[in-house]
Amino acid sequence: MRKVILLLLACLPVMAFAQGFQVNLHGQKQIGMGHTGTGLLQDGASVLFNPGALAMLPENYIQAGVSPLIFKSGFNPTGTTDSYYTKSKLATPFTFYGVWGPKQSKFKFGLGVYTPFGGLTDWGNSWQGKYTLESLDLKAIYIQPTISYKLTDFLSIGGGFVYNHGSVELTRAIPLADASGADGQARLKGSGHGLGWNAGAFIKASDKFTIGLNYRSQVNTTIKNGDAIFTVAKSMEANFPQPNTFTASLPLPSTSSVGFGYTPNNKWTLALDVNYVHWSVYKVLAFDYGTNTSLLQDTYSPRNYKNGAAFRAGAQYKAKDNLFLRFGGGYGITPVRDGYVTPEAPDANRYYFTGGVGYSVTKHLDLDLSFEYERVLARTQTNIESNLSGTFKTNVYIPGISLAYHW
Amino acid sequence: MKNFKLYLTILLVASLAACKPSFEKPQTNTSTADFSKYIALGNSLTAGYADGGLYLEGQQNSYPSIIAKQMQIVGGGSFTQPLFSEAQANGSGYLKLTGFSATGSPITVTETNNTAVTGVTAIPGFGNVTTYSKYAGTELNNYGVPGIKLLHVTLASYGNLNGFYERLLPGAEGTHTTPYLDFATSKPFTFFTNWLGNNDALGYATSGGAGDVLTDKATFAALYNGVMNKLTAAGQKGAVATIPDVTAIPYFNTVTVGAILAGVQKANPAVQALYISAKSSADVTNTTYAPRAATAQDLVVLTFPTAKIGTMVSSPAGMVPYGLTPYAPIENQYVLDNNEATLAKDYVKAYNSTIISVAGAKGIAVNDMYTFLNDVKAHGLIIDGVNLSSNYISGGLFSLDGVHLTPRGYAIVANEFIKAINKQYNSKIPLASVSAYRSVKFP
Repeated sequence: MRKVILLLLACLPVMAFAQGFQVNLHGQKQIGMGHTGTGLLQDGASVLFNPGALAMLPENYIQAGVSPLIFKSGFNPTGTTDSYYTKSKLATPFTFYGVWGPKQSKFKFGLGVYTPFGGLTDWGNSWQGKYTLESLDLKAIYIQPTISYKLTDFLSIGGGFVYNHGSVELTRAIPLADASGADGQARLKGSGHGLGWNAGAFIKASDKFTIGLNYRSQVNTTIKNGDAIFTVAKSMEANFPQPNTFTASLPLPSTSSVGFGYTPNNKWTLALDVNYVHWSVYKVLAFDYGTNTSLLQDTYSPRNYKNGAAFRAGAQYKAKDNLFLRFGGGYGITPVRDGYVTPEAPDANRYYFTGGVGYSVTKHLDLDLSFEYERVLARTQTNIESNLSGTFKTNVYIPGISLAYHW
Repeated sequence: MKNFKLYLTILLVASLAACKPSFEKPQTNTSTADFSKYIALGNSLTAGYADGGLYLEGQQNSYPSIIAKQMQIVGGGSFTQPLFSEAQANGSGYLKLTGFSATGSPITVTETNNTAVTGVTAIPGFGNVTTYSKYAGTELNNYGVPGIKLLHVTLASYGNLNGFYERLLPGAEGTHTTPYLDFATSKPFTFFTNWLGNNDALGYATSGGAGDVLTDKATFAALYNGVMNKLTAAGQKGAVATIPDVTAIPYFNTVTVGAILAGVQKANPAVQALYISAKSSADVTNTTYAPRAATAQDLVVLTFPTAKIGTMVSSPAGMVPYGLTPYAPIENQYVLDNNEATLAKDYVKAYNSTIISVAGAKGIAVNDMYTFLNDVKAHGLIIDGVNLSSNYISGGLFSLDGVHLTPRGYAIVANEFIKAINKQYNSKIPLASVSAYRSVKFP
């Protein structure tokens, strides 16, 4: 076991996005079941999956989890035998959820802190696409206070307010060689915030059948006056004045979900989720520099994403009173159109398989492990803006662990 | 719990194998050409000449060396170049950018340290020839000789007239008798590239039509046939390249008539025109030159000393400002006037139709650099996120002399050759990574 872990570290991780920049790692029980949960009552992760379900939860929850991403993207330029790989970096999407309500009350209150979008990719400064991107570290942390109310025995609703703290650090090479032949570099670093909301409804259609509806709103995150740091040959410095700033905004798209749960007997729980992600709001990636020169113009890169979708299914088997086995899988449709694939998110359609184990350490404490293998299908593309042409391939695997205390 | 550990282990091991995506390698045995011994014939472009000189870094980034490196991935043989030593890395000396003037004009100096220059020899009936340290190696694959014309390839005395060729030959300067074509083909080879012929038009053009003559079209065709017959005598395959339009290079498009005139008019708004000494017609036999006002179709060379404009010079009409009156026009050697440019273009077109038809008849790959560079001039070129153009310095393709290429430019040429070779011979030579090669160096 020890050896396996060492091996695993040797080909460590990189990037954290599921479709585009979306990260769908929101709870170990849900990951184990193929990322389903909109129509289930599993635990405090309902704060994210469906705030409407909180009021139906039989208990109060405090839980935290982490899902380190082990990720490798590769790029094979068209017509070559070269291959370039992203460097090994560890992305750690995490979750924290708290759910509380007085016993017998129709209200429940919740708080979620989670990471629904992000990207961590580092192609290095000597790969073929270095003038389009060297590295990107994009983080979005959502904080979501939530309230849920049980209207009747079979229907509850809930909603939360979302505050996003976003940060980005992007580097790319500038094609101006210095006296030693080395490239210049642009480094854009900044943070900002955005606001949104999350609402849902949960329906107990029968003893065995549950339905969830959820809408997570778009969160426009604007980075104002971030640092724009340019390193260029001395004779070129006047063209890249320092200090300089940049402003950029990234619209983090809304997600509409519908989920179904089915409990045929007390051993099995089956679930099905469909997500629709309104990525079409991501039209352009623009950088507006505080000071422009003839060589340093604002950039305006079309992205023109289309809406994406994911289909997920999962099951849980209660092996013993204190032991649960989970498995699931899904398929995601990329929001990135042909011609727009970039190394910042070398996206394509993808499928994934998940598994998980839940163990009740005590009556009040759950230990959950999850594992996901995700394969982003190979995609051969020529980008319309950069002409960077080649095949991207990505493999992801994601172990995860969480602890949930409930009472 | 024990079983789950096992399951987890299996899962982890399974995904480890899948962690790093892999890509298929191309098959190497599909080519109808044999790359085991590749030789390159050509002029300065083939030698890796850049920034007005031949120096070690330029040689190391020559397009034949890039092609050979890529060929080696699919079974090509070793490739040896006549490199200057590290101690004499600056070769013939070359231009370096030291900065920009207040108005944004580049300032260059010539690197004169650590050169390979061994002396200057006066050759009777020809003139002075600068010689360089001999290339001592026995293997040679890159036969690029800066300055050579197709017209020279059968000339027995040429080794005495060109120091870059002289350094490849055994024996002392003044005693050489081996024609270039015989020397380059003296050892067996299986594959060749031939990019000869540029200087047959370029020499005329860069001297403003004054210091050199265009090689006769029929002579060019006869020599080209001779070269190709020799190169394919044992059934060898290869690739040739067409000759770029001489007016597609920044050497003729940077210091423009409009820009000079605008500069003059800033100080003296009354000035209406620049005057040049221009060829009277586009007939090659016509040698009449007369002063006239310059137009945008007249191409001023990159090396024209613009400070001369307006300085008082003596003329038949007394002291007059240089370049601003018909009495003291800008001299012929600084301007490829409209008629001269038309003539040079016409010759290049004729040379290229020879190249394409000879190569076609022999089933040899053609890299059409004429069309490629005209496209770049018209539309620019975007590769791997870099915007390239035919502009001087900022364009990224051309080196500081405005004629020869940067390493990045040479990598692009190499890729154009590779594409033509792969197409003709069904081979799978991988392309070079253009972004791994630099453009102009800035201090």
